[in-house]
Amino acid sequence: MAKNQSQHSDIFMILLRAVVIVLLISAVIPSINPARMSGLINKSSALITMALSYSSIVSGFTRALNRGWVAESALQMLYISSLFVCISIAVVAVGCCITLGKKRLQRLGAKLIAIASLLGTLALLLLLPAYSQISQTSNPDRVEPMFAGGFWIFLSLFIVTFVLGLINIMRIPKPTAEDGYEMENKYKLFLMILPFVILCFVFSYLPLWGWRYAFYDYRPGASLTRESFVGFKWFTYLFENPATRADIARVLRNTLVMSGLGIATSWLPMAFAIFLAEIRASKFRKIVQTCTTIPNFISWVLVYSVAFAMFSTEGFVNAILIDLGIIENGTNYLMSGEHIWLKMWAWGTWKGLGWSAIIYIAGISSIDQQLYEAATIDGAGRFKRMWYITVPGLMPTFFVLLLLSIANILSNGMDQYFVFKNAANKETIEVLDLYVYTLGLGSGGSGNIPLATVVGMLKSLISITLLFGANKVSKLIRGESII
Amino acid sequence: MDAVVKKQTALGSYTKRRHKISAGDVVFNILNYTFYILFTFACVFPFYYLFINTISDNELVRTGQIKWYPVGIHFNNYLALANVNNLGTSALVTVARTVIGTAFMVVASAFVGYLVTKKEMWGRRFIYRFLIVTMYFNAGLIPWYLNMSMLGLTNNFWGYIIPGIVSPFNIILVKTYIESIPAELEESAFIDGAGYFTIFTRLIWPLSKPILATIAIFGAVGHWNSFVDSMILMSGKPQLYTLQYRLYIYLTSTSNLSALMNSGGSINPQVLNSLLNIRTVKLTVAMVTIIPILLVYPFMQRYFVKGIMLGAVKG
Repeated sequence: MAKNQSQHSDIFMILLRAVVIVLLISAVIPSINPARMSGLINKSSALITMALSYSSIVSGFTRALNRGWVAESALQMLYISSLFVCISIAVVAVGCCITLGKKRLQRLGAKLIAIASLLGTLALLLLLPAYSQISQTSNPDRVEPMFAGGFWIFLSLFIVTFVLGLINIMRIPKPTAEDGYEMENKYKLFLMILPFVILCFVFSYLPLWGWRYAFYDYRPGASLTRESFVGFKWFTYLFENPATRADIARVLRNTLVMSGLGIATSWLPMAFAIFLAEIRASKFRKIVQTCTTIPNFISWVLVYSVAFAMFSTEGFVNAILIDLGIIENGTNYLMSGEHIWLKMWAWGTWKGLGWSAIIYIAGISSIDQQLYEAATIDGAGRFKRMWYITVPGLMPTFFVLLLLSIANILSNGMDQYFVFKNAANKETIEVLDLYVYTLGLGSGGSGNIPLATVVGMLKSLISITLLFGANKVSKLIRGESII
Repeated sequence: MDAVVKKQTALGSYTKRRHKISAGDVVFNILNYTFYILFTFACVFPFYYLFINTISDNELVRTGQIKWYPVGIHFNNYLALANVNNLGTSALVTVARTVIGTAFMVVASAFVGYLVTKKEMWGRRFIYRFLIVTMYFNAGLIPWYLNMSMLGLTNNFWGYIIPGIVSPFNIILVKTYIESIPAELEESAFIDGAGYFTIFTRLIWPLSKPILATIAIFGAVGHWNSFVDSMILMSGKPQLYTLQYRLYIYLTSTSNLSALMNSGGSINPQVLNSLLNIRTVKLTVAMVTIIPILLVYPFMQRYFVKGIMLGAVKG
């Protein structure tokens, strides 16, 4: 056992694993893409992108291919080369995982790494003839042949993994006959969960890397260069540009008012549950519960379609009002810009009230019935029982949900406001999330990505601070954390 | 002795009071029932109204004459959907993403939820926190989009599926559930020589079916309902739009009916307009999008209370 331990912490093995991880990461970083041998290849495509789709290479070359500036075989060579480099890297990674096993597997892993590094080097060398073909183009101004610096990085990484692989093969003692292809359970489990950890990293942590766009003059399609680095320009722009400042103030007001309305009425689901519990007929209770949860399960687009059916010019509400003689001609309530905050709150409540009440309904059923009986004996009426038994019983749940909604005060999502938005209510309906979307992506490719990133970044930072604050408050008051 | 008698009389008055109904009670009950009836009505009636408008006489619908009950019942609107532009592909994409996305998410959540209960895993505490912390922060919409675009998942069907595979909240639900399964079961299987994978497929998976059904339903509803990701990620590839986003486009379109409909030259546009109108088409598409949810809803009900309660006890 002790011997195994010393093997796992062998310096050369650790070094090898570290280099393999660097190699893996390099394959997804666009700026060191070794196969980007021409300016026509998208600057944001990494080696892995080029290996996965041939079209990502060709797309920039349509004109160049038509005019015969570049032979397609050069591009095919780029593609095949990056594909095989990526396959080699994948095999190296697999080998690296295998080295977590015992002696036999360690040797196998090291062998795999060495062989795959060799193959990867060969595949990498295939880029050279492709480059020379591209550089012999008849129109170098348009094709922009360039030798990718990433080539040297990958070449040296492969050489290092090859050498380290060989060293490890030599250093690991020859397995005896009774050594099988075994691995300790703890590493087995680790390898089983590893793919999911990587997925989680790629989709939840990697976007944080995108925060760097806040510090550049970035235009969609372009790339981040040293010249476009502008430091905190967009941060100061946010506060110094009067138009943006006014926008932010307006959007923040909308966000805070609408979140505030929700927080101010966050007791409604609790009241809904408490008064529902006062109804004796259990069938009726069941039906109410079933029907009022339905709206929670439809999307905001469908809520909007319901709103369209009920409140548009030919809708139900207009028809009834005309019948009653209150109005003469229908109006389209959806197009009006009045009382937007209240309307949005009402739709939110329509959609969510029954659903949010469920947790309280379950809470009520877990309150000790003897408390009610005892209170009744002591002469407590209906409202006293509600106020002194049910409400305190539900308070912990209410408190947690309240704190969470305060922590989420800036994030009311964009779905609802996006579907209900129109020219008439634009001023009052736009919340922070929607503003970020419209600013960055909503205007069809001409959005201000850096500024939108700055706003989203500040929002995320404030939200996480609020969450920790809420957690602290909860710990102070209840001695329990909420996250 | 006195105390006992007192208690008995008190109990007597308690039972008596339960049967005696005061005037205040009557008023309270009337108000209470009225509120719940009205709110329930408000939750259900729009769907009914939507439905009767799709099966009533189209001219009456266009002028807003249908209020409480259908008039001139026909189902031509539903048949005419075959001619609505792109609706079929959108339906296919939506069904595909719901089925594939939910299946991947459920299997991954079950497997990861099982793995994180294994104390012997190397780096378990760190890994678990690493996964769970992602519930509480996000980089924001724009970095998320740029990331997806960098990964080549924009204008790509897998952009709907892959980001949703690891879902921390569902992992917590499964983990909490698996922890409530007696550990002896797993130990005996382990002694019998079963590996982690065998234990997962033969023991844990069947035993945790109730919670897996719960997360499957939430996952499926989420996939069915999502449209913002469709709008943001698939902007360059309209054939990958989901049904919901398609519906949004129809609802907000101000163009005339023939722009929505693909008459293919076989139907005279004038005839088409007299049969259908833009309002009925919008409402029918909405109805078709709602129907699957209303259909699975009765089955969902059993599970979602369990889900919301388990979710409240996070581990």
